Formats: sequence, structure tokens, C-alpha cells
Amino acid sequence: MSASALQWQVYDRPELRDSISAPAGAGQREVLLGLDGMHCAACVARVERLLAPHADQVQVNLAGRTVQFRFAPEVEPLSSLLALLDAEGYTPRVLAQDAQLNGDRRGAREQLARIGVAVLCAMQVMMLAWPTYGSDAANIDPAVLQLLRWTQWLFATPCVIYGGWPFLAGAARALRARRVDMDVPIAVSILIAYLVSAWRVLAGEGELYFDSATMFVMLLSGARFLEGRSRATAAGHLRRLVGMRKLTATRVGEGGDQTVPLAQVALGDVLKVAPGEAVPVDGALLDLAAELDEALLSGEAKPVLHRRHERLLAGSVNVGAAPLRLRAEALGSQTWLAQITAVLQRAERERPPFQQALDRVAGVFSLLILLLAAATAAVWWSHDHEHALSAALAVLVASCPCALSLAGPLAFAAGSGRLARRGVLVARPRSLGRLADVDTVVFDKTGTLTRAQPVVEHVEVLGSETAERCLAIAAALERELTHPLAQAFRRYEQNLPAREVRSAPGRGVAGLVEGRRYWIGAADGLSAGAGEAAATLLALRDERHTLARFALQAQPRPEAAAAVAALRRQGIDVRLLTGDADAPAQALARLVGITEVHARMRPEDKLEHVRQLQAQGRVVMAVGDGINDAPLLAGADVACAMPQGAALAQARADLLLVDESLRALAEAPTLARGIRRRVLQNIGWALLYNVAVLPLAMAGALAPWMAALGMSASSLIVVLNALRLPRREEKG
Amino acid sequence: MQILFLLIPLGVVLMAAAGALLVWAIRSGQYEDLDSVAGRMPDDDPR
Repeated sequence: MSASALQWQVYDRPELRDSISAPAGAGQREVLLGLDGMHCAACVARVERLLAPHADQVQVNLAGRTVQFRFAPEVEPLSSLLALLDAEGYTPRVLAQDAQLNGDRRGAREQLARIGVAVLCAMQVMMLAWPTYGSDAANIDPAVLQLLRWTQWLFATPCVIYGGWPFLAGAARALRARRVDMDVPIAVSILIAYLVSAWRVLAGEGELYFDSATMFVMLLSGARFLEGRSRATAAGHLRRLVGMRKLTATRVGEGGDQTVPLAQVALGDVLKVAPGEAVPVDGALLDLAAELDEALLSGEAKPVLHRRHERLLAGSVNVGAAPLRLRAEALGSQTWLAQITAVLQRAERERPPFQQALDRVAGVFSLLILLLAAATAAVWWSHDHEHALSAALAVLVASCPCALSLAGPLAFAAGSGRLARRGVLVARPRSLGRLADVDTVVFDKTGTLTRAQPVVEHVEVLGSETAERCLAIAAALERELTHPLAQAFRRYEQNLPAREVRSAPGRGVAGLVEGRRYWIGAADGLSAGAGEAAATLLALRDERHTLARFALQAQPRPEAAAAVAALRRQGIDVRLLTGDADAPAQALARLVGITEVHARMRPEDKLEHVRQLQAQGRVVMAVGDGINDAPLLAGADVACAMPQGAALAQARADLLLVDESLRALAEAPTLARGIRRRVLQNIGWALLYNVAVLPLAMAGALAPWMAALGMSASSLIVVLNALRLPRREEKG
Repeated sequence: MQILFLLIPLGVVLMAAAGALLVWAIRSGQYEDLDSVAGRMPDDDPR
């Protein structure tokens, strides 16, 4: 067995099995993998061909870079399939998936099937009902009329029972919990229309309402499906992010190193992290020193030097040249990654308070409608039995507050879906309301505006070598390092041979280049100013002299200036509050177009500044990136955390910026205003419609089928109005 | 109009078949990923 296959074997362990795959019946399990290296349609075909002999139901998703398939663990273990993919150059990423993910997918399919059946049957019913609408109904051969009536019943049954099941089940759930929600009037009207019509088919006479019932089911489930879909888009994005958790760890034991599932790691275990790998759990460093990239945690790609016994956080990457060892100190739900998961999951569940209020209103409204319908029936009963039923049905159907409860969630889901596609995750839906009012954006730290990788800004030659030569030597020395500072030299590569390169964390790199010994490291005592925007100074030395000094400078993100300009165009005041020295902060601000800069601020000062702005009646959004920003983020009206922020675990974050998405951030307030406008329009429309149609229905002027059409049209208008939002603005 | 007694039941049967086909297609996940299928067109090495 090859080394590669061994590497994947850990995923066959029973402890891991349930967190990466789900039982799929017949001894098979279903698994969803992320797949790197898949770029084109041809790759899709190759992956499918590769897996076809070993797995069933292979589904490759190019857009999501995932592959899903079923395999039989008894016949062929997952590890051999993983090794197979790996050998072909597609590196599989085993995603930690919760059962919910698979449940959702199955649920979505079932929902689509229900809609399909409802639409097919409703159209048939409509067609069969059509001949009986006009005045010529009397001319139809009675036998044919009976045939039409029975066939209507036949088609209405799957539509109501199968297609309408979510409404019936929802109503039953609500009644069991002794509440009335909008499913109740829906279910009641569907059932009354269906049962009365069925009874009349058996009796052989009387008006039928199958058309109303089926149309109602068809249009309502269509509206709900659209709602669910835009919600799922946003949720899917979050899930992939959460799925990136590390699942295994390398444990150092007496019998040598061993790759074990994360669940098996116990407190106090000694774990090894190879260079370039992520730390699996929070723990104390056992080596003298180690360098870690904590970009995932702090948003800063600057490697952080940790000394013995310091706490390393899960998710940070070992950028040193040697493996590091740590003792596990926090496991499972106590690590920050688990906390991120919790934050995102909460976001999926949370409904904005505004929406909760709307739902309560809809509930009361539903109860009111039931009472009104009963009252209508009672009043009409003394005049005309037939009309009493039809008027009551019309009231039930026409005034169902579906549009009211669709108004909010749809617009919110459409808005957050669009933001998510651009790389802004809405971690707290309630923040969208506030976001619409934001008139001041505070960038905290220069790091939020700069790129992680610095560039060589200035070379000061001190020895006899030329600047190019010095850069080339530096590039040779730094070649093998994953350090962000090292990457600044990549472009000066002249492929000089380097041997015996050794890096000592915090003390630089030494090695032989073309036979001569060089050393590169921090230039002592010369660091110009403190803080991250200040140039980092490195010195290159040979055995006797300092040859050159390099000034490395962080670069503003390319889209930063455009983002700032876009925010200002919206009349939003943009400020930079930073702990950096004045000069570099000013320089950066000039580059990106921020005029108001406050430098040398401590976290308390920043918070105080935001408080003052708020006292002036401003609504402040803070963009921060790390743990130090926690107080500021907590104090702001809308908190936006930069790359995958760890601050999440400790601080408040309403929005998360996942990619390099400052531009999307600039669009966020506009979008939030758009969402709010849509929600208000939708509510206005829904109320207007209900108020206008209710008296008509009670007066008996509406036939139930007209009511069903009106009510569904009103829901559809709300849905389309909400969906219009992302589409229109995407063009612009 | 006697032909309706043949045509309507025939329609019912056809609809039942169409419905069953649709439900099968949806349940087997054929509507899940509609994007990568479009991208497969330039693939000159089909299975």
C-alpha cells in the first residue's frame, strides 16, 4: 500500500465514520467531499469516470467544488477512494458534515416533487373544471358531466394529499401546540373545499371546489419553494466554511506517531503539527519557540512567534520549517472553531425581531380569519346554504396572511444570499435592519485595508553588492519558507542555489548561497515606528558586514480605494481608527482616500470615539479584524469582522467578510436599504390586498376560485418583488 | 362525445406516467446541479 493510501486510512475509523458520511441503505454510505484541483467540465467527467467503477450515484458539482457519492464500506473502504482521487491530482477535502446537511438535501428534493405533482394535477383539474364554468354547462351530456366530476376528484386527491401535505402537517403541528399560524386557515380551507367537493361528487350534484383547492396548493407551495431556495443558498455557503474543520491529528506516542481522529484526542495528549499544517486543537506549545500564521484567528497573516507553554489556537498554521509539538488543552466544543460553528448555526436559526413580530401578527390574523369565515357562514346560512359555504371558503382563502409572512423572510433571504455570493456572510440577520441606517463606517486597524502580503518597498545598499544581487540572495534564502514576509522576495528570484538553509523562529534565516554564508533577519533597533503599517525592516548580512536593508511595506488592498469611494458616494462618513503611528496611518489613508484618521488610539479610545459618534445620533459600523477589537465591535451598531475572524468566539460579529470582499462591504448598506424598502412594500401590499378583499369575500361577491387566484397572485407578487432585488442590482 | 369516455381515462393514465417519471427524476437528484451540466458541452471526451 502506498504512503498516500495510508494517509487517508484514518477516515475509515469507526469514530470518524458518522461525522463524514451518512448511511444510505443497502450497506452503503453517502459522503460529500470538497475537491481541490477541479476546474473545468472535463475534470467533472474525469472524476465521474474515476469513481464510477467504485461508487454509485456520483454527483460532481463544479460550482461548489464538491463531489457526492455512495460507497460500500464493506467492499471498498473510503480511504482507497480518497487515495484514488488524490493520485489523480484531485485532492479530496473530507468535510465534517452534520446530518442536517443531508436531511436538507433530501427535504428539498421531496419539496420539489410535491410541487411537481401539485402543478401537474392542478392543471388537469383546471382543464376538467373549465367546461362547467360557463352557462353552457347545462348543455353537457349528464354522463360526460359525471365523468368530468369524478376525474376532477381523481386528480385533486394527489394534489391535496401529497402536494398539500406540508400545509396539513404544519397546521396539525400548530394545533397540537395550541397555536394558530397561517398554516391553519390554509389547511382548513383546502380540506373544506376538498371534502365538500368529494361528498358532492358522490352525491352527483352541487358545485365543486376542486379547482380552488388545487390552485391554492400549487401556487402556495411554489411561493414557499422560492423562499426556501434563497434561504438555502446562503446556508450552503456557511456550511462549506464550517465543514473545513480539521478532523484528524497526529499523536505522538511510545509506538511512534499516529494519525488519529480528532474525537480520540484526549486532554494532555501530545500532538505533532507538520510545517504547513493547521493546529487541530487548542493547546500549549512544548517546543522552545514556533511561528504560527493565525490569519484565521486574527485576520493578520503576519506570523506570530509563540514560546514554550504559550497557548496555540486550533486553526492557526505552522509556518515554521520544523514540526511543532503541543499538548492538547481544549477539545471539541471548547475550541474556537467549534464556537464559529455555533455562531453560524445560531445565525441560521435566528429570525429578525421584526420578523418575529410579523409572525405573531400573522398568527392573530389567522385566528381572526377563521372567526370571520365562521361568522360569514352563519350569516349567509339563513338565506342560502350553498352561498354560505362558498362565501366562507372565499373568506378563508382570500384573506390568508401568507403574503404577510412571506414579506420579510424572502427579502432578507434574497439579500443575504446576494451578500454571501459576494463574500459577506450575514451572521446575525437582525443586523440587516441596522445596516440600512449606517452613516459612519469605522475601519479599525490598518490591517483591514491592507493585503496580508507585504512588498519590498525600499532597498538600502550598505555593502559592495548591487540591490538586485541582494534581493536575489534574500529570495534564495527565503525560498522554502511559507512565511508571508518570505513571499515578498519571490519576485526577485534568480534561482541562485541555496544550501543548508536553517530558520530559527524570531531570529531569521541563515544558509549558504553560492557557497557563501548569509543571514537575513530583523534589522535591530531600526524598526521605524511601531504598528503593522510601519515598514518592517530586514537586514541581509554576510559573515562580516551588513549588505543591505530591506523595507517591507503592507500594500493597500486593490479594491480598498474603490470601496471607500463607494461608501462615501452613499453619504457615509468613513474613518480610520488605528493604534499605528501617525505617519504610516496617514500614508495609507491617503492611498485609499480616507480623510479622517485617528492614529495611536488604544482600544478604549476607539470605543470612546464610537460612543461619541453614537451620542451625535450616528449609526456606526465597525470593521475590525481581531481579538483586540472586541470592545469596539461590541460597541458599534453593526460589527463587521474581517477574514473568518476568531474574534467571533469572543466578540460580536454581525457580518463576516470571507474573501477579499471590501467592495461587497461597500454595497452592503445599499443592499440593506433595498431589502428594507422591499419588506415595507411587501407588507403594505399584503395589508392593502387583505383589507380590500375581505369585505368582498364576506359579501359573497367572490367565488372561491377567484379568491384562490387573488390570494396566490398576491403571494407571488410579494415573492417576485423580493427576488427582484438581487437580480436587478446584479446587473448594475 | 362518447369518445371522451376513452380519451379522459387515457389522459389520466398518461398523467400518472408523467407524474411518476417526474417524481422519480427529482428524487434521484437530477435537478440538483443544473450548472455543471451546461459546462460539460465543450468536453470532447464524453463517457
